[in-house]
Amino acid sequence: MISINELVRGAKSREVIAVFAFTLFACLLMYLDKPMGIPIYIVSILLVGIASVFLHKDSLRVAALLAIVFLSAFSIWSNGVKFGIDFSGGVRIPILLEKSVDSVTMEEMVTTIKTRAASFGLTEVKVRPIGDSEIYVELPQSNPKLVKDVEDILSQQGIYNGIVDGKVAISGDEIYSGSIYRVPSQYLQGADWGVSFTVTQAGASNFAKVAKGKANYPLYMFLDRPQNAIIILNESELMSDAKKQGVPMSKSKALDLATSAMRMAGDDIPVYLEEDLAKNFTLVPRDNMTKAIVNNASPLAEKLAQAGFVVVGKASEDMTPQYVVSPSSPASDAVTTWKAVGLLSSPRLVASVTEGVPNYAYTINGPAQGDTSTAKLLDAQKKERELESLLKGGALPVHITIGSKTIVPAPLGEEFLRLSLIGVAFALVTISLMVAIRYRHLNIVVPMMFISFSEILILLAILGAFTIDLAGMAGILAAIGVSVDAQIVVTDELLKKEEETKKRIDKAFAIITTSVMVAVVAMLPLLLLSGLVEIIGFATSTVLGSLLGLFISRPAYGAIAERMFENS
Amino acid sequence: MSFEIPNPYKGNYKLLIIIPLLLVAVSLFFIPSIKKGVDFKGGTLVTMQSDVPADTQKLAEALEANGFSVSSAKSLQNPKGYEIEVEIERDENLTRTDELKSEFFNTVEEVSRLEADASTANNSSSEAQVKYADAKAKIDVISNGIFAIAGMPQDAEKANSTNALKASVNGAYRKIIDGNSERLSAVLSKEVPYESASFNEVSASLSAKFLEKALNVVMYSTILVCIVVFLIFRSIVPSAAVIVGAVCDIIIALGAMGMFGIPLTLASFAALLMLVGFSLDTDVLLTMRVIKRKEGDARTRAYEAMKTGMTMSMALLLSFICLFILASLTHINTYYEISAVAIAGLVGDLFATWLLNAIIVLNYAEKHGHSGESERGIIASLFSN
Repeated sequence: MISINELVRGAKSREVIAVFAFTLFACLLMYLDKPMGIPIYIVSILLVGIASVFLHKDSLRVAALLAIVFLSAFSIWSNGVKFGIDFSGGVRIPILLEKSVDSVTMEEMVTTIKTRAASFGLTEVKVRPIGDSEIYVELPQSNPKLVKDVEDILSQQGIYNGIVDGKVAISGDEIYSGSIYRVPSQYLQGADWGVSFTVTQAGASNFAKVAKGKANYPLYMFLDRPQNAIIILNESELMSDAKKQGVPMSKSKALDLATSAMRMAGDDIPVYLEEDLAKNFTLVPRDNMTKAIVNNASPLAEKLAQAGFVVVGKASEDMTPQYVVSPSSPASDAVTTWKAVGLLSSPRLVASVTEGVPNYAYTINGPAQGDTSTAKLLDAQKKERELESLLKGGALPVHITIGSKTIVPAPLGEEFLRLSLIGVAFALVTISLMVAIRYRHLNIVVPMMFISFSEILILLAILGAFTIDLAGMAGILAAIGVSVDAQIVVTDELLKKEEETKKRIDKAFAIITTSVMVAVVAMLPLLLLSGLVEIIGFATSTVLGSLLGLFISRPAYGAIAERMFENS
Repeated sequence: MSFEIPNPYKGNYKLLIIIPLLLVAVSLFFIPSIKKGVDFKGGTLVTMQSDVPADTQKLAEALEANGFSVSSAKSLQNPKGYEIEVEIERDENLTRTDELKSEFFNTVEEVSRLEADASTANNSSSEAQVKYADAKAKIDVISNGIFAIAGMPQDAEKANSTNALKASVNGAYRKIIDGNSERLSAVLSKEVPYESASFNEVSASLSAKFLEKALNVVMYSTILVCIVVFLIFRSIVPSAAVIVGAVCDIIIALGAMGMFGIPLTLASFAALLMLVGFSLDTDVLLTMRVIKRKEGDARTRAYEAMKTGMTMSMALLLSFICLFILASLTHINTYYEISAVAIAGLVGDLFATWLLNAIIVLNYAEKHGHSGESERGIIASLFSN
């Protein structure tokens, strides 16, 4: 039996106090810095775990288990547990990439899909990479119209338009997409990056006509420029970029620049200030399809809808135009990007392309930002890729196939979750009963079930910090059995009275370590190499359950059981 | 109450080996009848949630009448009403479409580049023109193949640029895919008053990819497990015995899948891999106790190991029985496939470990008069003090 004295002595040891102090500190951090809650949780359980493994001390082993259980419970309360759409309801559309891609390309694809979805006003869409060759697009609710919109965005290419002085100078149809390439560094002539492309005959003559005499004008490059629309922004959005760059610019100048970037013969996008409209609202839509692009949180949204506009809400950062401002030549100031309307870049025309002579090959180049040469190189590559994708009409770098969608109605998902949690509880109870019948000793059953319960809690917290899906839930249930298993090995070994306790514990651990090794090794290829995301949740919970058991809970159980058995 | 398990290792235990061998033989007979699920076979699995049960016979007939080949249709009760599940075989036209489309997009960029070269070259008989004409002719054939399936005029050569061709091929592809799913939805909604439907569609190329990945995983797992087992025991017979035990267990589990109609899907595949771990768990316990220990004689050690091992298997079985009950309440396929395979494998493991592996190991221990070498494996000694 563990005497009160030993408990007190254990609790007073320096290491144990340090572990508990650290735990409270980590909880405080999690509470104060909610966005970083999950990384803090993961790092802190890793630290406690490492301390417990490397400082061989029984009191510390038990303390570490308690600390990790406490951290996990706190994380469940503070960070919450995320469930996949199988449990929360919603629609999932898988996107399969033709080939596996590296993490940079993957990130780029996710961003492109997000940007395009946002340009259609679909802000609730969640896009996340899965392994190296799949992307999940998830919607929180099953609205057939929304699903159709997302599928359309994914399957159709965007429309590229280059506008000079209010006239379309070039459009995506006129660019040979196969001819778009990144200019090798030795041909860049001083610029940091460059993208070159060839246009069709019709495109070349149209460009020559439109660009004639427009040297130094910006070429406003749009992806999916909204047709038949107006845009309404507030003063702080209008001015925020100038403020950030620290350049002086008047409100009227900013408004002029924005208005001039939105010009296009026959389909201007008029720019209005929210503050002006609030005083005097006289807007009338051109027809019943006219869109009004406004901030999500705009107080005008209701008024606009009443006036007959189709209101398209955007995030604040997309509503903010970015400027290029040079105090030495104010004539060349312009808006460079404005995501809300799909304006993504505006390079300047050099004199040689504005002489009115048709030209087939064009190069867009420019400087890169960055403090170090590596940062500069990375920025240059990023700009090249962005431009390449823009010229190809928002095309993704790898060809994609849209998989078929999974729809789970929210009430059904909730019911599945409820039943699954009951299942987990039921499994814990049945296995406790079995252990109780087998050993008939409270001293054995209580610590054993406490450890199993702790492990399930820890697994829920860790997996829930990411996402628990059906396979993950099945893995958690399996982990209950696995967790009890190793404790049975320890208990049976301890029940033999032939040798000293320490030796018997060592023997039990030799067996457990070996079986965890083989179990983890058997699952590892599935976890690391396959990218079979459908079942990765299951593999993760099984492997994690085994490792948690080996490093944290078995040592603690050994430490408790050793004492429990000594006098029983 | 007493739960003493009879000691099978008294007397001539060698004959016991017949039981697992028979079981393996029966399993081998059933393995060919394992059904592949949509993950590995390709096809569409439609899951509908409805308030009323459906007449699956009528539904299947209606689907067949519309050109879909139905491989199974089920109507099951779940907590929110009824779940109707229909499995439709992969349409050959769709498979062909996917192949053509992927071929098209793999070549179209190159054709577009040649087109650009050709348009900037002044001389009409230049090399660039010839190259472009060749490439264009090839891609036109592919495009016409897609147009044919979509039931559109096969006039790819009339497209005046690759960009235009790309747009029309995209349109044709969407027409085929949308047409197919609209046709399917129309039949389904006519026959079943469903509230929601979920389509798990696996194309031929995707199922091939799944199969390839799964085979890779099996290969790596096998190699790694063999290496680790040999490192732990460092002698041939015990290592081989452990691996034979695991292999038999997997064969028995596969046999049960064939016999009880548990489909081979990604979920049941994951369960099989997990079984390797579970099976090795008891095998390692037995082999370590019998070969690396000294107390009592080998037979007693084997019997003691069996008592511990049986308790462990019981605990695992109980958790999977809970999952199985959960699966029969919710009809969640993932739960059902994992739990059914695990239960079959755990039962099989009882035979494979205690009647096959144990016999080999005991025989070996008694012949060599084994009385324990080093107590711990090298890897184990890294972790505990």
